[in-house]
Amino acid sequence: MIDAAVDRAGPVLAVLPESQVLVAETARDWAGGRPGEAGWMPSDADAPAVVFPASVEEVAALIRVANETGARLLPAGLGSWLGAGGWTRAGEVIVSCMRLNAVQHYEPADLTLTADAGLGLTEVEDLLLPNGQWLAVDAPGAGAGTLGGMVACGVSGALQGRYGAIRDNVLGVDVVTGAGRVLRIGGRVVKNVAGYDLVRLFTGSRGSLGIITSVSVRLFPRPEADVTLCYVGGAGEIVALARNVCTSPLPIAAVELEGGRESGETVCRVRLLGSGGEVEEVRSRLVDAAGLKPRQILRADESAALHGDRAAWEEGSALVVRLAALPDRLADTFDRGLALAGALGGEVAADALGGVVRVKASPDAARDEDVAGELSRAREVVEAVGGTMTLSQARGEVAARAGWTGRRGSGTALGDRIKKLFDPASILAARCP
Amino acid sequence: MVPATLAKSLVGICGRDGVILDEERLLVYESDALTAYRHRPGAVVLPRSTEQVQGAVRAVAEHGLPIVPRGAGTGLSGGAVALDGAVVIGTARMNRILNIDAPNRRAVLQPGVINAELSEAARVHGLYYAPDPSSQTTCTIGGNVAENSGGPHCLKYGVTSRYVTGLAVVLADGSLVKLGGQGRESPGYDLVGLFVGSEGCFGIATEIEVGLLPVPEGVRTLLGIFDRIDDAGQAVSDIVAAGLLPAALEIIDGPTIRAVEDSVFAAGYPTDAEAALVIEFDGMEAGLDHDVERAAVLCERAGAREVRSARDEDERMALWKGRKKAFGAMGRIAPDLLVQDATVPRTTLPSILRGISDIGQRYDLVVANVFHAGDGNLHPNILFDRRDEHELERVERASKEIMQLCVDSGGTITGEHGVGLDKKHHMELIYGPDELDAMWRVRRVFDPGGVMNPGKVLPEDTIPSEDTVLPVGTGGD
Ligand SMILES: Cc1cc2nc3c(=O)[nH]c(=O)nc-3n(C[C@H](O)[C@H](O)[C@H](O)COP(=O)(O)OP(=O)(O)OC[C@H]3O[C@@H](n4cnc5c(N)ncnc54)[C@H](O)[C@@H]3O)c2cc1C
Ligand SMILES: Cc1cc2nc3c(=O)[nH]c(=O)nc-3n(C[C@H](O)[C@H](O)[C@H](O)COP(=O)(O)OP(=O)(O)OC[C@H]3O[C@@H](n4cnc5c(N)ncnc54)[C@H](O)[C@@H]3O)c2cc1C
Repeated sequence: MIDAAVDRAGPVLAVLPESQVLVAETARDWAGGRPGEAGWMPSDADAPAVVFPASVEEVAALIRVANETGARLLPAGLGSWLGAGGWTRAGEVIVSCMRLNAVQHYEPADLTLTADAGLGLTEVEDLLLPNGQWLAVDAPGAGAGTLGGMVACGVSGALQGRYGAIRDNVLGVDVVTGAGRVLRIGGRVVKNVAGYDLVRLFTGSRGSLGIITSVSVRLFPRPEADVTLCYVGGAGEIVALARNVCTSPLPIAAVELEGGRESGETVCRVRLLGSGGEVEEVRSRLVDAAGLKPRQILRADESAALHGDRAAWEEGSALVVRLAALPDRLADTFDRGLALAGALGGEVAADALGGVVRVKASPDAARDEDVAGELSRAREVVEAVGGTMTLSQARGEVAARAGWTGRRGSGTALGDRIKKLFDPASILAARCP
Repeated sequence: MVPATLAKSLVGICGRDGVILDEERLLVYESDALTAYRHRPGAVVLPRSTEQVQGAVRAVAEHGLPIVPRGAGTGLSGGAVALDGAVVIGTARMNRILNIDAPNRRAVLQPGVINAELSEAARVHGLYYAPDPSSQTTCTIGGNVAENSGGPHCLKYGVTSRYVTGLAVVLADGSLVKLGGQGRESPGYDLVGLFVGSEGCFGIATEIEVGLLPVPEGVRTLLGIFDRIDDAGQAVSDIVAAGLLPAALEIIDGPTIRAVEDSVFAAGYPTDAEAALVIEFDGMEAGLDHDVERAAVLCERAGAREVRSARDEDERMALWKGRKKAFGAMGRIAPDLLVQDATVPRTTLPSILRGISDIGQRYDLVVANVFHAGDGNLHPNILFDRRDEHELERVERASKEIMQLCVDSGGTITGEHGVGLDKKHHMELIYGPDELDAMWRVRRVFDPGGVMNPGKVLPEDTIPSEDTVLPVGTGGD
């Protein structure tokens, strides 16, 4: 099986000069052996190679040859989150876009950036900082990855209520589809309704429709003030406090929770971003209104640094689960998360404004069957109230039993047809979970 | 006129008062707000429920006729025009707000709900619906979804697509699909986002879930008066570059100011000015005055002759009046008005405006600009008289040149009004055959038979032929 896949991969590897190809152990190291990230790679995945195209033409050539030979390609950035939803098929060739990393267009006064998909988000941040701008996206863990990976994953963090989700901030993408077409869709202006919005389709498509080679995004001015109020207490009172903050008319940037920790305490962090006067006013009103006093108030760099640290919350976890329901169900969803974390030996984090609860854990591989059972039961409960539960990261065995996503809605048939349209021979990652 | 058998089944489904067959009454539906395109529909159906929409779609499809969804008909690209005797399915009677779910800041509604009525209804909960097209007192949310409409306050808050979280859609075969819903999180491809802006070509939205925002505590409005439009454009760039995030930044140019001041809508703008810039901030009372002061200084530095600020709601309304009534006023000074729509990178505004003015002079036409400057979304409107054939021809040529100018600057052919019938031939200015091919194919995923709103958005001569599908290899699952 694996040998056959490797055979099929052969011609794909021949497309690029040797210096742009890693095979065998070196390929394995690249994908799975990154510091702090060991154990993320599903055990049943076995990539024969990683290739590093350096131009759109090279990407297109790889796809053309894969279509001819039936080899399978897995689009990638830095490979920082590869397991999610896709990489369970043996013998895939990883196509890393990290050598496509040029800044194509950055005009600060336009508040837009166009760059190659493989540009790292840390480089993006360094580029924007001197101009007092930022990409207002706090996707979990995205700082470690690339612009293209962020768009392909399309998962948004707690700031989405204030700044929009990733999909609201992507203005255009260039892609090479699984069928080998090079498409330039959208543009680099902030308002654009010319034709159907295919940009939305590729955002969050997780490498299943095409390889993204370039991205245009909308930027924001860095807010003048950044303040975080930290509350600590029992789960019940902290979740109630979080809901109160969420339903107040005050401009709140994010409300995040953390629980299931050894101390048994639950933490709520309320983040305020905006002009100095506004943030101070909101801070003082919150402190006056909430029954509970914040244990700590962080300002400016300290506040930013805290959120920077939290971004890598899942790092090193073999299992990451995302539960979502309407925000007013937060108490239930959070409880469900705590119960799951308890059963799996993990921790919980939540975006209270969005009603999203994440659970991370690293259960022993010997417990796969048991873990999958827990997940299925949790999913049933969440779905019964109209919510969803998806796996963000899991070992292949667990995902195969529990399924990356749950219920397939009535739009599923449309999604299947879209997958077929852009990747008719299924040479790319499996259909978007 | 549709066949009698079809008329009969439509009446059976939607009731006698829900079907319009009378030639004279059909005239009302022959165009949208872009009156250059007029085609009388074969019939108009006004269902009250999703089931009736499904029934009507099936009945029409059985007779092999095309279908055109229609909201309030305020579209400015000919999107709701019924070509080839198509049957219009109008949402005027599907105008109920089904649920305002205040704790979750969302609402579920039928597509025919008027934009402003949603905000009105949400206000008792301290909430509102952010996208605010200037037509908001008449246009429908269904139309907004189909066009992905914007508005003056989209600079800070984003356009329609950011707020649509779920849809029920009747497809061309009469089946119903539910996309997204129950908040923002839904796994899989973003089909909600794909549907928004599909201009009636993918199906009929019969139920829409949208997000709402808390009404901001305070609002401040400023009006900068400039002798040179370039300076106003510069002020816009400077305000944005300074890190300020106004809710709205709107420019009204000299010809528009004079049109407004000559009309019943006179707003007290100086008629010798070449540009007026409306700046609005909203948010907490505490931060607003500081922002307003900084913006006022930036306007003065950019060369503003005068900066007015509103002290109360009446004054605020007065400052906005010239902007809000611009279209109405222009309609009064010329028999016809071509409302154009394009977006350019914000920093190119000064040079683009000069370019547009040159084009106007070269073709001896009055071009009046009123636009969402903060987003770089231009509306260069051409005033003319269609009875003058030579002038009409000049209008068309000037219009195309303006589009080309905007595209060459890195911009696009439409920022909010859509492609519709009017701009489908401009699509090739920004997209090549592969992109158009992909759009055709995605459209067919939703509507394999080409029943929904045919003749819109994509130029017919780019229809893919089946054999152009890329040859594929031996792979597969
Ligand atoms: C510590 C940590 C925690 C994270 N937590 C979560 C989480 O909870 N939920 C979640 O969804 N994500 C999570 N992520 C993923 C993160 O949000 C980013 O999406 C990711 O870091 C991008 O990394 P990358 O560029 O290296 O892409 P990779 O890791 O190489 O790829 C990630 C995914 O994107 C696709 N992809 C990457 N580049 C392209 C491209 N150019 N074209 C097409 N497809 C492409 C891949 O096929 C794959 O499906 C986490 C990441 C880290 C490092
Ligand atoms: C004075 C004036 C000012 C305007 N200002 C703005 C502005 O600031 N910003 C802006 O973006 N636009 C503006 N517009 C344009 C217009 O109001 C918008 O495009 C609006 O969204 C159209 O809504 P409608 O209900 O009138 O739709 P219609 O004109 O009836 O239809 C528009 C399109 O939507 C489709 N459609 C309608 N309902 C549905 C449905 N339920 N399901 C699927 N498809 C449907 C139709 O087939 C058609 O293609 C303005 C128009 C006027 C006349």
